[in-house]
Amino acid sequence: MATAETQGMDPLRVGFVGAGRMAEAIAQGFIRAGKLEAEHILASAPTDRNLCHFQALGCRTTHSNQEVLQNCLLVFFATKPHVLPTVLAEVSPVVTTKHILVSVAAGVSLSTLEELLPPTTRVLRVSPNLPCMVQEGAMVMARGRHAGSSEAKLLQTLLEACGQCEEVPEAHVDIHTGLSGSGVAFVCAFSEALAEGAIKMGMPGGLAHRIAAQTLLGTAKMLQQKGQHPAQLRTDVCTPGGTTIYGLHALEQGGLRAATMSAVEAATSRARELGGK
Amino acid sequence: MATAETQGMDPLRVGFVGAGRMAEAIAQGFIRAGKLEAEHILASAPTDRNLCHFQALGCRTTHSNQEVLQNCLLVFFATKPHVLPTVLAEVSPVVTTKHILVSVAAGVSLSTLEEEGAMVMARGRHAGSSEAKLLQTLLEACGQCEEVPEAHVDIHTGLSGSGVAFVCAFSEALAEGAIKMGMPGGLAHRIAAQTLLGTAKMLQQKGQHPAQLRTDVCTPGGTTIYGLHALEQGGLRAATMSAVEAATSRARELGGK
Repeated sequence: MATAETQGMDPLRVGFVGAGRMAEAIAQGFIRAGKLEAEHILASAPTDRNLCHFQALGCRTTHSNQEVLQNCLLVFFATKPHVLPTVLAEVSPVVTTKHILVSVAAGVSLSTLEELLPPTTRVLRVSPNLPCMVQEGAMVMARGRHAGSSEAKLLQTLLEACGQCEEVPEAHVDIHTGLSGSGVAFVCAFSEALAEGAIKMGMPGGLAHRIAAQTLLGTAKMLQQKGQHPAQLRTDVCTPGGTTIYGLHALEQGGLRAATMSAVEAATSRARELGGK
Repeated sequence: MATAETQGMDPLRVGFVGAGRMAEAIAQGFIRAGKLEAEHILASAPTDRNLCHFQALGCRTTHSNQEVLQNCLLVFFATKPHVLPTVLAEVSPVVTTKHILVSVAAGVSLSTLEEEGAMVMARGRHAGSSEAKLLQTLLEACGQCEEVPEAHVDIHTGLSGSGVAFVCAFSEALAEGAIKMGMPGGLAHRIAAQTLLGTAKMLQQKGQHPAQLRTDVCTPGGTTIYGLHALEQGGLRAATMSAVEAATSRARELGGK
């Protein structure tokens, strides 16, 4: 396993502390979009279980978190939320004012991060989601006290390799986790249910799942490209007395709207809970 | 308003009887994908109310349905379902064995407007595999198109035609959950739509069963599983299945089955 040589700080070197699915998704997005060469990425983790995925991409890997900080100026912290405090305490001695540190851990606030790191460290927080892997992520980011607009711009430009990224006040980050991080699972459940409705009516499973996914994709694209309120598009599709309005009535009777709102609420509340608010 | 000259049958001339949103969506798809020149498309309708959209695209238009059949070999019938029998009776005298006639009264999703449609098609008794292939190749300008047995066409209407509205309702509900928690509306709607898009792309590219991807996203004790529990408690699955069922049943009812 290659270790990165200490060649002095090259700002184009990006590090990942923690090498799980989200770290991999972001790294993959950077590489596929040509923003970074794989060999300019260094990832650390306690074991090789996840590092093998980074190695397969052509990235460098190590078991030393400090080594990542010593070799990269821009470092993503992608550990599970509960181990992050320990990891930050471990790397603090080698953090300098030149570093830009980005946490993607759900629910961990900027003030918590800043408390664990040397004063004046530049810290940002990102809530990504898994479709970063296919370069269609939905992300928001928030700046810490010492991170300026140029750091934010740098991060946003990089992350746009993975999808859409907007800067927001920190208060919105946990909500994004509930809506979009966890939202991926809610959309999967919905897609499955659409397909199962069709399967009940006699359509074969494979076809039903393919059509459900394509319907999701096409509708999402329409919403984005036309910038319409979804209620407007919904109305546009309803021929009086036609199939759509019959279906919408069943949807409302079944309480889809309330169930979905509750899901986003529950996930957001859990994110806030994990962050100790 | 230009009328098409009768120059003999050019197989690249495509006609539309009926010029509403669906016809326009398909025509636009063909033109944008470079499959057809606008002036090789001829559309008919009783008034100019919809024809002006075709004229704006550069297509030819007429008030005569028969003229479309006389000038085009491949003709799409995109009228409302209840007027189609009358229209077909009207044009029947000028239909020949050279014609390929395609009905889009059902089975085409409105999302063809953005070239990401989900379509299915079924063949009549005398339409062979080469006609089906020609149609499929053309329609792929508008999105995905699969050939299926006719029994599936109404289900497709319920799932994907009406499905556009169900997805809108779901997107709105996702955004409203976030708005309840304090996110501004514009941001919430943008993120909801992008989440839909990204998830759909993952399902397509990785070819995973959605339940597998759903499980992959669930950290033990994390935010996602809390949200999924609320989703199940609220009965999202049953509500959605009922919607597809109701729309499909209505499609069958309209078709007189």
